Parts: sequence; structure tokens; C-alpha cells
Amino acid sequence: MAVGTSGGKTFIRPDGREKVTGAGRYTADLASTGMAHAAFRYADHPHARILRIDTTKARALPGVVAVVTQGDLPDVRFGGLVQDRTLFAKDVVRFEGEIVAGVAALTETAAAEAARLIEVEYEPLPVLTDFVAAMDADAPLVHSDWSSYERDEQMVADGNTISYSTIVKGDANAAMARADVVVKSRYESDASQGVPIEPRAVLAEWRGDEVTIWSSTQVPYAARSGVAQTLQIPEANVRVVVPLLGGGFGAKCDLHFEAQVAALARAARRPVRLVFSRQEEFRAIAQRREGIVMEFETGAMRDGRLVARRARLVLDKGAYCGEGGFLGQMAAMHACGPYVIEAISVESFLNYSNRQPSGSVRAPTAPQVCWGLEQHMDEVARELGLDPVELRRRTLIERGAEGPTRQVFDEIGVKQTLERAVEMIRYDRDLPEDEAIGVAVGWWPSGPAPSGAYIHLNGDGSGTIVTGAQENGSGAVMAMPTFVGEELGMEPESFTLLYQDTAAANWDMGSCGSQTTFNSGRAILAAAADVRGQLLDAAAAELEVDREDLELAEGQVRVKGSPDRSVSIADIAGAGTIHGKGSGDVPEVPAGDTGGCVGRLGSETFAAPQLITQAAHVKVDRETGVVRVLKVAAAHDSGVILNRMGADGQVTGGVVMGLGLALSEGTVFDDDGRQRNPHLLDYKLVTCSDAPEIEIDWVQIPTENAGPRGSKGVGEPPQVPTAAAIANAVAKVLGRRVRQLPMTPERVWAASAEVGS
Amino acid sequence: MTRTFTTAATVEDAIEALGSGARPIAGGTDLVVGARQGKASLPEAIVAIDRIASLGGIVEGEDGLRLGALVTHEEIVANDVVRARFTALADASAIVGSHATRAHGTIGGNVMNASPAMDTGGPLLCFDASARIRSTWGEREVPLDQLWTGPGTTAVDPRELLVGIDVPAPIPATGSSYVRLEYRRQMEIAVVGVTAVVRLDGGSIADARVAITALAPTIRRVPDAEAVLIGSDGAADGIAAAARATAAGSSPIDDVRGSAAYRAAMAEVIAGRAISAALARARGEHVEIPASSSTYAGLGGARA
Repeated sequence: MAVGTSGGKTFIRPDGREKVTGAGRYTADLASTGMAHAAFRYADHPHARILRIDTTKARALPGVVAVVTQGDLPDVRFGGLVQDRTLFAKDVVRFEGEIVAGVAALTETAAAEAARLIEVEYEPLPVLTDFVAAMDADAPLVHSDWSSYERDEQMVADGNTISYSTIVKGDANAAMARADVVVKSRYESDASQGVPIEPRAVLAEWRGDEVTIWSSTQVPYAARSGVAQTLQIPEANVRVVVPLLGGGFGAKCDLHFEAQVAALARAARRPVRLVFSRQEEFRAIAQRREGIVMEFETGAMRDGRLVARRARLVLDKGAYCGEGGFLGQMAAMHACGPYVIEAISVESFLNYSNRQPSGSVRAPTAPQVCWGLEQHMDEVARELGLDPVELRRRTLIERGAEGPTRQVFDEIGVKQTLERAVEMIRYDRDLPEDEAIGVAVGWWPSGPAPSGAYIHLNGDGSGTIVTGAQENGSGAVMAMPTFVGEELGMEPESFTLLYQDTAAANWDMGSCGSQTTFNSGRAILAAAADVRGQLLDAAAAELEVDREDLELAEGQVRVKGSPDRSVSIADIAGAGTIHGKGSGDVPEVPAGDTGGCVGRLGSETFAAPQLITQAAHVKVDRETGVVRVLKVAAAHDSGVILNRMGADGQVTGGVVMGLGLALSEGTVFDDDGRQRNPHLLDYKLVTCSDAPEIEIDWVQIPTENAGPRGSKGVGEPPQVPTAAAIANAVAKVLGRRVRQLPMTPERVWAASAEVGS
Repeated sequence: MTRTFTTAATVEDAIEALGSGARPIAGGTDLVVGARQGKASLPEAIVAIDRIASLGGIVEGEDGLRLGALVTHEEIVANDVVRARFTALADASAIVGSHATRAHGTIGGNVMNASPAMDTGGPLLCFDASARIRSTWGEREVPLDQLWTGPGTTAVDPRELLVGIDVPAPIPATGSSYVRLEYRRQMEIAVVGVTAVVRLDGGSIADARVAITALAPTIRRVPDAEAVLIGSDGAADGIAAAARATAAGSSPIDDVRGSAAYRAAMAEVIAGRAISAALARARGEHVEIPASSSTYAGLGGARA
């Protein structure tokens, strides 16, 4: 059972038992009377103009109850910063997983057969798979006429380039010219996938003109507004409920399949359920990280001071922008890293290609760019004759330092994380010649956003917490009864949670951006404070004492120092009038000097930055290139840790996920942009047996302008520097760099066998 | 899409079902996984043979082993005679798929699936094993070197059923190993695998078998490598020469799991490790099962 401590108390997570025993129900487990099964017809070409769609044969197949194409739906484009998508393909298909039509039938077999029977005539178009050559003047255009698309004014929308973002500080060229040493590096990251254990599932059921959609999404409110926008109905008519979610890792952010299934259910006049196969999951939109080509150039002085950084990044966004329009600028911030650098000029291109669109997989862009930058930093250290840890010691940011956009930092603990990680891994010890320790540092912003919560006390003194927060498995929502119990002097077990239901709770950003505790936790604590105030008022009247003389403990409101003078919370709640609500004040995003930057999309400064150092001890089989990670030491500054078990769990999982990113997880595309390994046989996740020893510590320092009780985010950072630390360790063993991610055995072997460096 | 699923109580029932077009299922670890992945859809008619008691069990005799078709990989790894005398088979069975695969997957299924990447095939081939095949017209023995005719194809008629595998006892002073290149520590499928069986007579190698896995359309022996070893004293240069001959005798493909050049290079490395481990065992030295783990970074390298 998932047991942990919060504030010294043991707690059992409310969803633990049903998940562990298998009693829990996920979306694919749900069924509704009369339900039909959905199947999609996917594009037959990675890039083609649709000349004709004929659904006659599909409709004639016995058991088929609906066939829907874009022509049956409102002509709406959607998609975050660039509205470049439609629910079903309109005129053109742009990647292999693009949905051309949807079918609902009484059996899964009939649905699959009907999808196959849809006749689609295409005119193949030139396929663009090289996302760097995408910027060539003669490159085929993925979106040929996108001047008509609605988009954010910061999106450049030039050729195949969606966004162009720069981070500019001072005069990098001049600074580079006066540096003692200048180091240049090039790194390239392949695409990789989110791979939640639960593939996508959606069940939609209409009652009149209202629809309830059960969906395995991380962002039920975004799904709701997306359904409303694309089907042109009010948000009030759309209810999105998330049953237990079987992981997401960012691959289940954004609106994806809810509206298509709702459209099918409306056409079929029946409930309709969609359940993805693993292969569909692999090819679906926004499941993957972007491939990135990175060029870094750093000018440093002999004493280690970093005087100049130039970098050029090109990111593969795939066929559609979706919510990931900000990724180019986010990557640019990670090309700077948490370092003091006097002058900076980073440019970042986010490009279309005819490949699966990328999405917001756990700390999007950061692990790849950190992997490149932190190897580059080790190269700078080598050129300076400094130990890599010493170079970082001299150059990491601290309180009062200026960031890449002259953001001035509050108290932060990145240097402490460095020292702790180095200590835990025993950096200076002697190792066999095929083993080494690598160190990497990274950062990730917290994401201030609105949220809201209600707490109702019931007549018997039990309580219901209503939150828009989404539990992705991390336990962030599960810890909330504990927080409320602490505020109200009640047992966490007195509370149940009503969550993951857009009809019940306030809007919430969802399980993304490491934001659940940061924002939803803040709202819950504010709602608890509201309840607390109401209880104090009621008890003060009843006991005829000042509010200030009262305390809440053990289910009572009692007079401080005279515990006999008390009234039970259950008695006060008996009238059924105690209802709290709260949102809390959203922390401000810090200011910076961003005047010289273009493509400003919200990542130009980092609110309450989470800072991470990880050190990896690896062993390399030089003859085969197989790398085994023996130990990872992870030291994080995530502010005050509210739930140590939950936080440790995020690091453990993030490190193991990072191991996969580092060594084995890579999507291989063919020359037509089709995936060659869209299945778990050849897309290699790491297994429990590959997990190293993981030692975790938290640098807990007071953090200004942070989340509840001085906390910051936790979920994404563990993923950020893991691959980088492993890379630096591997390079130490080999004496050479592996310049492509993932660092597969073959690539390590090839680097090992290279002549020279 | 499967339309009929029957459960056979006896071998005769099973053979009758095969005669009317059904395909057998035991552990299902190839059939079901393959169907899910879209490699081949499930057969129209399936006959489950997993409850036929006479197809289970390992019989250890003076003349060798009789493995029932339903013996699981887990049972093989746990068998002391296999571990002591047919160690390469234990090496292979210990690393097939995952814990779940090994608990459900059977030796009969592994052999009859005829994948060039199957793990138990190399050891069985080098131990001169043969398949016992039953049908309505009788029982016959098919030596494994005649069983596999190509990737996924065998010399067995669809109406015939594999009932067991016989493995003759090796002569004393024989050591064996199966080593597979492993990207991760569980759930692997062979990209390169090599089996080595050597028999020592005094200080020299009296007999040797070397087989390659996932390096040719079927699992097969490499006579040139064996010839290099036979008569040699098992020193490093002989092992290296045999490893080179193993790589030269392979015909690796280029695919998403590895390039042909990498596979060829790894054929040599893994062959060297397999031969070294087999020799060490023939000399009575302890090399932990599975040899793939214990030879990581080279024989004698610390286990990571």
C-alpha cells in the first residue's frame, strides 16, 4: 500500500488500495448500455492531398452505426498558439497518424473493418522529414497556406518555421571575441515517446444536447474547452470525467480524441468508446518529445567565468503545433542553463515536418537540451583544465545573480544541490577504468496559474474536497486530504475527494507543468483556511471567547490552554452550512529584461525555479557499447517538501525514465516520416531490473514567491539532467563524446571505436 | 479473428483438432504478442494444449533429457541437471523475455515458432537435440538441424504436434554457454546470440560446437569456428580466431535493432565471450547462470 509521511504523519493514499488490488476502473474498463466501438481511419500517406473520401462501403457494413469525417463537422481549426488542426483531416494529411475519418460500430471487429472499407483517394505531396532542411528555400511546405490560420502574434509563421525565439543578453559576439577559450559543440537528439502504461481511451455519451466524456486525459478542462470549440457547443454542455489515469507523462495533455468520439456518439445516437492499441498510441499526435539539433558555443575566461554563450537550436515539432508552440523558447532557456553568463545570444527554431507532432512530454525540451549543454559544459571544463564540478561551482547562479534575461534570483539552492549530489555519489573515489561518474545540473520553472477548490463539511463532521486537480499517479492530489486535515485539526481519513470531473470543480490547468501542488495545493489550502475561519467564528460564538484564543485539534475547536472548553467540529458542521472555497494568490512571474528577445512565449523568466543536480555512476562495456547505470544521486531544490514520499517517488520515476531517454528510447523514422519502431518490442523502455540505486536528497530552503508553504514543483525536474549526467560519465570512460541521443549501445560502441576524439 | 477455441485433454484430441485446421496454443507468448503487434492475426481455430498432462515434465535419464513440449523456461532454469550438464540451455531459458514469459512460455513453443532469434534453439542444436513429432500417422524424430527451414517455418506438417524434445547426454568434461547481447536486463530479444559447447580432453579441445542466433535466417552452427577450436588448447588466440570465424560465418541484417556492421562486430565479441565461458565451465570453473549477465564487459569482469 502506498504509505508515506507528511508532516511526520503516516498517510495512505486514497486511490492506493483500488490500484494495487486491481479493483480500480480506468477509462477502457468502462462500458455503457448500447455502447458502440470507435475506430479511426488513419492517413495512408504521410503527406497528401485528399481528393475524395467515399464512406459508402463502410456505412453499408452490418453493425456500423456512424461514420464521421470533417465534412460532417463545424469548420473549425484549433490548436493553441497556432490554430492549425482540425478534428479529422481537412483536404490534406500531414503525418502517418492523422485521422481521416472515424467509425462507430457494434463490435470492435466491425469498426476496424469499416475503417478499412473507407475509400480515400490521395494526391501524394512531397514529404518533409528533415526538420533542419525544412528551412531551406526550396523545402516543401507542411502547411502551404497558413497565413489564414489564427495564431499568437509572437509566432513567426515563416515557411516551415512555427516560432523563432531568441534569448539575448548583452553583446555575445564582442564577449566571445575577448574570451580566453572558445568551445564549440554540436549535439543531436532523436525523438522519444511518453509511453504511459495506459493507452488512450475515451467514452462519450449524450443526453439531449449535453455530453459526458470519460477520458484518459491529463487536462480535463482543456479537453472540455476543446470539445466546446470544435463542436461549437457551450462548455456548460460538456462534462469531462477522468476515471483513474494510468500515467501520462505529458503525452495526455491537450485536446486530442475527446471531440472525435463525442462527434461519433452524436451521429450514432449511442454511447461510443475508443480504446487505443499500443501501436496507435505510439503514432498518435503529441505523444513524443521533439528531436533537436543543438549547436553551442561558449567563451570562458581562464578562471572559469562564462563570458559568452551562443547557441542555435532547431526543433522538430512535427506536423502540428498544438499546445507546444512555446517549446522553442523553452529550449532556448535550457541552452543557457542555471549559470551566470555575461552575454548571451541563443536562437531557437521550432519547425514543422511530416512527422508525428511532438507534445509536452515531461519537462519538454529540457532533458535533450540539458544533455547537450551539460556535455558542452564538460568540454569547456576540459579546455580550461578545470574539473567539471569545479567549473559549475564557479558559475552556477545564486541569490542575487542575473539570469539569461536579467531575472534576478531570490534565494535558490542550486549550488547546494551540486555539493550534495557530489557528496552522495562520492565523486572523488577511485573507480575501475570502465566506470566513471558524471555530473549534470538543470532547471525547470514552476508554473503559476489559477486554480480553485471547495471544501464541504458534512453533517456528521466528515468532509468532501472538491478540486479541479488531476491525479496522474504521482500522488499530488492524493496528499490533499492530509494538507486539509493539518489545517483543520482533523484526520485525513475524514475527507473524501471529488476530483477529475469538470462539472464539479473549478477550472484547473491539469496535470502538467509540475503545477498540481503548486497551484491546486494553494487553492485547497485557501479553501481550508476559509473553512477554518468559519469554524472559528462559529466556535467563538458558541464558547463566547475570542477567535484568537481558539485552536483546531483532534476534531475540536478548543480554547488554547483549556482543552476542556471545546466544541466538536462535527457539531458545528451539523447544520450543514460549512462550505469553504479558495483560490489563493497566484505567485507573480518574475520580471526580466526581455527587450532584446523575440518570440516571447512565456518562458523568458522562470518563476520559482526548481534546480537539480544529478550524478550518475556508470559502467561501460566498451566492446559492446552497453552502458549500465549503477547509481544515481539526485539532489533537488524544490523548495519546502510537503510530502516526502510523493516527492521521492517523482525522483525515482524521473531518474528511471531519464535512463531510458539516455540509453535506449528513441523513435526511428523512415524516409517517409513513418515510425519504424512503434511498439514495445523495439522501442526499448528500461525495466525494473535496469533501475540503479537512487539516492535522493532535498535542499529545502525558504523560497520567496513560491507555492504553498514555500514549495515549488517536483514532477518534471527529475527527468531534466539524468541523461546528461549519464552522458558525462560515459564520456569520461570512453574519452570521447556520444553526440546523438539516445546513446544506444551501437552509438556508444561507434564512439568508442572512433579514431581520435 | 479466432472463431473456435477448444481445449484438448489428450494428445489424440489435439492432433485431431490440428487435422481439422486448428493451430495449437500453449503459453501463448508468441501467438498473442504477435497478434497484438499485428505480425500475424490470431488463427481462426485454436486448440489449447496446455492442459495435456503427458506433454509436461522433464525426465532425466542416463542417456539424456526428455523435455515435454509444455516444459516452461522457468522449469528448465530450475532443473539441477540442466544447470549442471546442459548449462547453455539454462543460460538461454533464464533470459527468454521477462519473468512472465518464462513462467508461461514453453520450450515447445519456442522451438516451433522457429524464430531465428529464439534463445533456446542454439543450445538445443549444439546438444544434438531432436524433436518428437506426433500425428495420426505415427511418431517421428526430427533432428533440430533439419527442423527449421527458414524464419518462422519448420519441416513439420501443420497436422503434426511437437510432443517433446530429446537431448542426448553430453560426454563428461563438456562445458557450454549461451551468451546474448543485451541492451537491457529483461524483456530482450536476441540481436546477437552465440552458443558454445566444448569438450576437453586433457589440455585440448576434443570437440566443439558453435551456433549463432539472430545472425542468419535460421539458427545454425558455424563449422569454421568449430574447426578452429577443435584440437586447440583453448588459449586466447584460439578463442579470438574462432570468434572471428563465427562473425565471418554469420549473415547479419540491417534493421532498427542494429546495423549489419554492428551485428557483425558483436558476433565476434559475443562469440568470444560464449566460448570463454564454455571453456571455463568445461574446466570446472564457475560462471554464473545466465552467462549473458556474468560475462557483461567480458568474462571475469565484475558483474554490473
